[in-house]
Amino acid sequence: MLPSARAEAWLRANLFSTWYNSALTVASVVLLGTVLWYGLRWVFFDANWSVISTLGGLMVIGRYNVEAACPGQDCLWRPQVSLLLLTALFGMGWGIAGGGLTKRIAIGVAVVVSAFALLPYGMDTMGMDVRLLLAANIPAVLAGWALARYTPLGSPKWLAISCVVVFLLILLLLRGLSQVPGLQPVPVTEWGGLMLNLLLAVIGIAGSLPIGIGLALGRRSRLPVVKSMCVVFIEVFRGVPLITLLFMSVRIVPLAFPENFPLNPIVSAAVVITLFSSAYMAENIRGGLQALHPGQAEAARALGLAGWQTMMLISLPQAIRNVIPAIVGQFISLFKDTSLVYIISLQDVVGISRAFIRGNVEFLASHKELYIFLALVFWVFTYGMSYVSRRIEQNLRIGER
Amino acid sequence: MTTLLSSLTYEGIPVWRHAQVLKWTTQIVSGILVVTLVVWFFANLANAIRDRNIPFGFWFLDNEYLTPIGQFYLPYETSDSYLYAFMVAFANTLIVSVIGVILATVLGIMVGIARMSGNWIVSRAALGFIEFFRNVPLLVQLYFWFTVVLALPRAREGYVFADSFYLSNAGLWAPWPTIESPGAALAWVALAAAAVFAGVTVYRRRLRRETLTGAASYPVWLGIGAALGIGAAAWLVIGAASGVAPFVIESPSPEGAFGRIQGGQSASGGMIALLAGLVMYTAAFIAEIVRAGIQSVSRGQRESARALGLSWAVTLRNVTFPQALRVIVPPLISQYLNLTKNSSLASAIGFSDLFSVAETMTQKAPTLSIFIMVMLAYLSLSLTYSLIGNLYNRTLRG
Repeated sequence: MLPSARAEAWLRANLFSTWYNSALTVASVVLLGTVLWYGLRWVFFDANWSVISTLGGLMVIGRYNVEAACPGQDCLWRPQVSLLLLTALFGMGWGIAGGGLTKRIAIGVAVVVSAFALLPYGMDTMGMDVRLLLAANIPAVLAGWALARYTPLGSPKWLAISCVVVFLLILLLLRGLSQVPGLQPVPVTEWGGLMLNLLLAVIGIAGSLPIGIGLALGRRSRLPVVKSMCVVFIEVFRGVPLITLLFMSVRIVPLAFPENFPLNPIVSAAVVITLFSSAYMAENIRGGLQALHPGQAEAARALGLAGWQTMMLISLPQAIRNVIPAIVGQFISLFKDTSLVYIISLQDVVGISRAFIRGNVEFLASHKELYIFLALVFWVFTYGMSYVSRRIEQNLRIGER
Repeated sequence: MTTLLSSLTYEGIPVWRHAQVLKWTTQIVSGILVVTLVVWFFANLANAIRDRNIPFGFWFLDNEYLTPIGQFYLPYETSDSYLYAFMVAFANTLIVSVIGVILATVLGIMVGIARMSGNWIVSRAALGFIEFFRNVPLLVQLYFWFTVVLALPRAREGYVFADSFYLSNAGLWAPWPTIESPGAALAWVALAAAAVFAGVTVYRRRLRRETLTGAASYPVWLGIGAALGIGAAAWLVIGAASGVAPFVIESPSPEGAFGRIQGGQSASGGMIALLAGLVMYTAAFIAEIVRAGIQSVSRGQRESARALGLSWAVTLRNVTFPQALRVIVPPLISQYLNLTKNSSLASAIGFSDLFSVAETMTQKAPTLSIFIMVMLAYLSLSLTYSLIGNLYNRTLRG
């Protein structure tokens, strides 16, 4: 078939199969065309994007590097080195998986991040050291890959251990140590920007999955005390909006602690987000367990596996695999929900951008530009997550055949 | 030592391997742990209330609130009590939730069906809508819509449609029925309810006839006709009998030196932005639920219905949809609940919902007491939704 004939057949089948389909096609093309025409005209001619470039690093790390947070020295290298450690982890994953999706993710992350080294700022706003540390993400991902490939560290077990170690290292690096000269402490209240969103999301994801599994098992347990406690926890946390919980975590929970007890708002936010999300996670996993054929567990018991072995080795892995889309959907929700920390005056990427725009009269007219940009930033992450989840699902389904 | 350990048996089995003993130990230990934690928390709270003079109690509920509320649908004055102001705010949340649920369902079903369309452009456009609105935080969307609303012209230069809809950055004013004689209105509402009931009955009977005999019985048209006919007849009869129409449609109009708009029903700019955000966001989720539900009905069902000569619309209404509903309704109800809870983000864009009024109240009243009330209010809402969902599930099974 000639390409043109094939194109014609495709058009006929998908756009002009019947008269009303043709009418629908024409109507939607006109509508979408109009929207696109005005939209693009606004994006390229009417919109004033300077608010984004002026915000710049504030969006990424918040007030972490301002004079008040980091007096007398430059602290920017600390989040940057944290980022390098993170890309190295991606590299390790690639080295262990040996290619495929993991490889593409690792290389993609490294390339995109290091591309920020080429931003057209003047050298006085964005110095050579900053650019070099960004560009170093490509060597970092390769180093991680080499580490997994040519040393004994190249196993999933070591990757898990490295994840924990890197997470603690990053926290230490960002927090600082008063004893070490170059690492003066940066008050946690000054952490902000996208860094804060990602930090809360990572803690929430890492925490809510195991807690959620525990709650799901508790809710399905035959022990009445355990079961009722889990049910109450799940229903209460699912029954109220996250912002009321966040609000209470800073206004009421401190009352239960001694006066002047150093409760950290970021820790409160992380705990509340994790618990909130784990209640939803528990329901997802419970759905997966319920959908599982009882024959699976019965067969396992018949083979002589103990109750906990049946759960851990047979039921749970299958249940989790079956509800991966729902679990990733919950991760996405969690990441979006990190923007709600505005309610306890934390300066996440949305909060700090709004604070900036309100403090600078010349940008008062740029709200629309800001929110569209913020929407895109979140969208890149969330869409990436749902893309990866779909690919994992496909891979697992191939394994089933 | 060995004798001590081996003497720890129950029914001849060492206790650490006795299933019954293990179960009870787990329950007692976990129960004690949790109870201790909860008691510790509340004991500390109680101590703080006593020692640090943290205000707590519900004496303030009858005091005058003395603070304006931005927008209200129950009549409200600043001299009303705290309790009543709380109710006004709760009503605002309920109203946003009900309107949002209706609009989001309609839009969601439309987008979900568009997503399944054989037309490539329509299906892609629906996919784009879903992937965008689902993946962007609602807060960012709300800020965006609020900016859009604020960018509308000022009240005096706002848009006017058909001399009765006024749209400006202060909000939307629309015609609204008002009551002149409560008796007539009440009588008509009762008769209208009867008319709807009659319509549903006609629909059911005609549908049964069509299903059993195969004769074309037009259930939808006859049902709607019966409901409208009885409603209109009731309107005329009551109007003639009492001298006034049950409801009079009142159009808003600008009045006074500053052109303030009077009459009709209004929705503030914050409410419009809130509804726009909530509806788009929730509709994206509902669209996916609808699609999953319709796709869960096996293709053979549709094909055999068409093979039996049922039209496309009848197949959708009487074959596909009833089966899809089983899959659709449970997650749909949880989306309704999410919408209701998400409406608490109204505080970010200045609409007086339950959360934002409660937050304002905490400036003058005990935070602890207020937030116990807020939690209970939201929990009761969520339990109501769960109850409806469970009842529905039971009717499906029964």
